[in-house]
Amino acid sequence: MRYKASALVQGLVRCHDCGRLSRLDAQLPHCPVCGSRLHERMPQSLQRCLAFLLSSYALYLPANIFPIMTVTQIGVTEKHTIIGGIIALIDKDMLPIAILVFVASILVPLLKLLGLSLLLLNVHCRWQRNAKLWTQLYRMIAFVGRWSMLDIFMISILIAVVDLGGVSKVLAGPAATAFAAVVVLTMFAAMSFDPRLIWDKQKIPR
Amino acid sequence: MNPNKLDACPQCDLLLRRIDPELGEKAQCPRCAYLLYYPRKHSIERTLALSIAGLILFFPANFLPLMGIKLLGNSHDGSLISGVIGLFNEGLWAVAVLVFVSSILFPLTNVLLSLLISAHLYLNKPNRFLAQWMRWLQHLDEWAMLEVYALGIIVASVKLASTADLKLGLGLYAFIALLLITAMLASSLDRYLFWQRIARLRS
Repeated sequence: MRYKASALVQGLVRCHDCGRLSRLDAQLPHCPVCGSRLHERMPQSLQRCLAFLLSSYALYLPANIFPIMTVTQIGVTEKHTIIGGIIALIDKDMLPIAILVFVASILVPLLKLLGLSLLLLNVHCRWQRNAKLWTQLYRMIAFVGRWSMLDIFMISILIAVVDLGGVSKVLAGPAATAFAAVVVLTMFAAMSFDPRLIWDKQKIPR
Repeated sequence: MNPNKLDACPQCDLLLRRIDPELGEKAQCPRCAYLLYYPRKHSIERTLALSIAGLILFFPANFLPLMGIKLLGNSHDGSLISGVIGLFNEGLWAVAVLVFVSSILFPLTNVLLSLLISAHLYLNKPNRFLAQWMRWLQHLDEWAMLEVYALGIIVASVKLASTADLKLGLGLYAFIALLLITAMLASSLDRYLFWQRIARLRS
């Protein structure tokens, strides 16, 4: 009985937006309740996810190498990379904030990239173990994604506040665009990955 | 087999019988532990009230100065919108658009759509755009990032406090209030119930 557990096997499709189930054989391309297009699974889930993921990998490097902001203070101009900013925070004895920034702007993007790559491998290679854990990993990746925007928002506030002409000024650097792109692209990658594929590939019924 | 009495887990597609948990109970997927649904108290009334409050707070939060600094006799303060303008003037238009969308435009749209939908449901007034609005609201949700912005404010103010005199602006208080309101709004809006009511208004 459990083997036919998935709704799709039973000929039912769940609407992405309102959650209503529709019969597959009714030839209804649109949900009768909310009118959104019905898909058995997210269309081209793996291809889209991989494409977004590869672009984020490519941008992750410039995001960390180039300066993300330039701080001018009384004529002295300093360029900060993401890591440089964290080291500066540690030097000023602000360890908790440094850890916060480290988690949000280095650890989370990196774990997201690796986690999504593993999820793609999982579906591609039809790994049979721990489907529940993999689904939970996906949920975690989807949840933490937005918190990486922390650095971008912080820079936007600093630019707004620190604008004292020659005395002190903060400008954003070229890495800001790259970093923002990494965050947005990994969010798109997470959104296009369909966790139901993990369960579709399970040979042993659970 | 009536599809109306069935449900599927959105994350593992396990076919389930549709249940209506009591207030305070949670429906969880038995296979992948996804939190399917938990009913909330007075969802429509609360959503309506909170979205009106959010709309009122929105303008002071965005246009009044969040904070200011004083350094060597010079002072300057900045607001949410002036950060976006600063990024734009520097030529980083992509980042400016992203910040604008995720900290101003989408939170505003979120509040407006919640207001529209809950007002229609509260008054039992059918509208052919209800389902469309609800879909937009769900898609926007991921991109409205006020709480992340709040964390950004904390980090920025700690950084600034070490080099300059920091004074907090009126906008900051409005922003904190708006943040609390939108967080409460998100937790009071019961999607299951809203879709049910929208479907009922339609028929």
